[in-house]
Amino acid sequence: MTATPELSFESHTLPNGLRVVLHSDRSLPLVTVNLWYHVGSKNEQPGRTGLAHLFEHMLFQGSAHVPTNGHFRYVQQVGGVANGSTSHDRTNYYETLPSAHLDLGLWLESDRMGFLLPALTQENLDTQRDVVVNERRQRIENQPYGQASERLYALLYPEGHPYRWPVIGTLEDIVGATIDQVRAFFRTYYAPNNAVLTIAGDFEPAEALERAEAWFGEIPRGEAIPPVVLPSYPNGRPERPEEERRDVFADAVLMPRIYIAYATPPYGSREWYVADLLSSLLTGGKSSLLYSDLIYDRQIAQEAGAWVHLGEAAGTFTLVATARPGVAAEEIEARLGGHLEQIAAGRIDAQALERARKRALTDYFGNLQRLDMRADLLARLTTYFGDPGGVARESEAYSTISAEEISHFVATWCRPVDRASLWIVPKDAA
Amino acid sequence: MSPIRRDDAPPPTAARGFRFPAFLNRRCKNGLRIYAARVPKVPLATLELVFPAGGHWDPPGMPGLATLSASLIDEGTAGSSSLEIARRAEDLGGYLASYAEWDYGAVEVGLLASELKPAFDLLTEVATAPIFPEREIDRLKKLRTTELERRRFEPGTLADELLARVLYLGTPYAESPLGTIESVSRIGRDEALDFFSRHYPLGSATLIAVGDLDPEALAAEIEEKLGRSPTALAPPATEIVPTSRTGTTIHLIDRPDAAQTELRLGHAAVGRRHPDYVPLLLLNTLLGGKFTSRINLNLRERHGFTYGATTRLGGRLGPGPFAVSTAVATESTGAAVREVLFELERIRTEQVSEDEMEETRRYIMGVFPYSSQTLGDVAKRLEVLSIYDLPDDYYDHYLERIASIDRAELLSLAHRHIRPEEIAIVAVGPAEQVGPQLAALGPVEVVSQG
Repeated sequence: MTATPELSFESHTLPNGLRVVLHSDRSLPLVTVNLWYHVGSKNEQPGRTGLAHLFEHMLFQGSAHVPTNGHFRYVQQVGGVANGSTSHDRTNYYETLPSAHLDLGLWLESDRMGFLLPALTQENLDTQRDVVVNERRQRIENQPYGQASERLYALLYPEGHPYRWPVIGTLEDIVGATIDQVRAFFRTYYAPNNAVLTIAGDFEPAEALERAEAWFGEIPRGEAIPPVVLPSYPNGRPERPEEERRDVFADAVLMPRIYIAYATPPYGSREWYVADLLSSLLTGGKSSLLYSDLIYDRQIAQEAGAWVHLGEAAGTFTLVATARPGVAAEEIEARLGGHLEQIAAGRIDAQALERARKRALTDYFGNLQRLDMRADLLARLTTYFGDPGGVARESEAYSTISAEEISHFVATWCRPVDRASLWIVPKDAA
Repeated sequence: MSPIRRDDAPPPTAARGFRFPAFLNRRCKNGLRIYAARVPKVPLATLELVFPAGGHWDPPGMPGLATLSASLIDEGTAGSSSLEIARRAEDLGGYLASYAEWDYGAVEVGLLASELKPAFDLLTEVATAPIFPEREIDRLKKLRTTELERRRFEPGTLADELLARVLYLGTPYAESPLGTIESVSRIGRDEALDFFSRHYPLGSATLIAVGDLDPEALAAEIEEKLGRSPTALAPPATEIVPTSRTGTTIHLIDRPDAAQTELRLGHAAVGRRHPDYVPLLLLNTLLGGKFTSRINLNLRERHGFTYGATTRLGGRLGPGPFAVSTAVATESTGAAVREVLFELERIRTEQVSEDEMEETRRYIMGVFPYSSQTLGDVAKRLEVLSIYDLPDDYYDHYLERIASIDRAELLSLAHRHIRPEEIAIVAVGPAEQVGPQLAALGPVEVVSQG
């Protein structure tokens, strides 16, 4: 993995502000149409949470020329797949189609960007609210440890920070969403000047650009997008030395699970890639630090994980381990903290770091085998950094980050005072 | 610029065809088969040895033996400890894993394509000479036992497992391939080693290599190193006979605080090698195998009962289950069951429209290239050829077969293979609310959890 090739692309901006990124790859007869809207739950207000995600559901309910559920039907009947997802920072929609159907994808996406409101009905909203309530029950309330993520973010981020509330929203906000709120949300955020259209796959770039202009060019530019105002913190992070951020939640689980999390610099910063590489060093494979210590040697944990969230406002670096029956949560938390202290003190095994580096790079390039993943990466780079170039920079980061940088990162960003700790413990034992 | 018309879906341009990548297929003197495909998209490769060693072959009373034996293979050789094996694989830019599913056991290594030689040597050492250290057996049994205890807290898993017990009592399919806490406690080094020695002979294996590699050169080396010495052969698959059922039965696990009801409705279906299996895939897709399937549109989009509903066709060596899976709002449990039964009855009594047939055919044929993009996708498809002993041109004929199914054949298939009259209905939810809703459909057996 010595060469770090840039993914080939062309980038254009239409007069209405829509950014168009084209990545031609003719090896398979497939094309991906991918739209990123730069809006997520961090654009919401407390008391009206979950709108961005509920809205993602509404975008599959038809538009002026596409009937309710027509989106999936049109895509699937030609052998395509479609979906969407919502995060704190963005909402994406994508379909991968046989390449002869590029126009179909552009028609569907441009219709819901330009002509959604006539199809937005109370009836459709009522059904999708029920679907989302059931999604929340299935994924969060009826799952062991399902509530961990929203509790952890609420603990880590203080009042006023938009990562504080869950992407799916609170149950009462979902139930209380009105058609007027949904309409206003669309008018504010679903405009060409707040979107990136990425087309990847089997096409001639000039032709695809012409089709993108034909389908999207007539959609008028929207108002300027209201900025998200992030609270500013003296040291670049929400420090709260005066209070310990700790939560113990009793749930229907067998074993305690221990989470510790830190707010770190956002995706795109050098520190973010350090945190990502550090995650690989901690839990990337069987020989990684947490696996070999907690699971293999000491046998005190059933599983362990580490990751950093792709956040635009902040990275959230999280360590997690599940205590085996009979093992105290305190012991696990102490071991997790101990590993970070070792790293901050500069004790990093050189060979282990090289393995983590290889793993990070093979994961990165392994993911790019799929056309939809490539399109999504180009869209991500364009949305957050204004430029689809960045694959070389990202892989370069994994290749060059030094042990000293990792130690410095932990010493700077993962101090005890920065930590939020969440334990999910068995109900009976609580 | 060609004009656009928004009022209807735009027509396609000229379609390009897709064929599954060409691959080498060679049988060595001792019976070892080699499948190798050059897929040079990224500088990566996978090498995998596949054996007839899945949960299908768990002896009576010993569920979990196949999967536990498989997971022990990469836990030590005469020359390398468990963590040393892991480090060696990770030094090659990849990973090494050994595991078993229902129909096979496998040892696989992922690697940077430049490291093919040492990766092949590592794979050979691990797959042919594991030593099953006592310490690792104890450790993996503890992890497994805890995993099995934990599964009792997962409502979806509870529902899957109860359905399996109802449909397959007395056969290997009655329990999860992970086994039970009781059966795992009885598995020791002798049992695991014995299973390994019977089910992992190279003469019954297939080596699958996919990636940025030279198939001919690699096959020559494999043949030289692994394909010459005669080995024993693994025992063939035995027949699995589902529980004989007449009439619908209803089974409920009480979870008083559950936020939803996990629902399963199912019965035994045909195995992967049955001639009706491929056309049944189309039936399954139309009924519950895609977003626009009948059951998902009914339960999710028409009624808002659920976040999603799917159906699945077992596709195992033996007669795996056909099952509807969903998680529904507690108060809608009875209504959701009635809607599922309505859809099952409808598909076997009313002919499907030509539009719906064509949509489904084209969906299956269209997503085929989409699901053949990665090294892992290609390797998985080669695994299928090996495990079910299918011909090299299987995937070409597969698509032709899908294209050939008409409405009359579908109705006849549904009539024979969808059997609402012998379906088992399993629910996991708060019995106080769910029980009365189900009782309106028939007698309910309340099952204590675990």
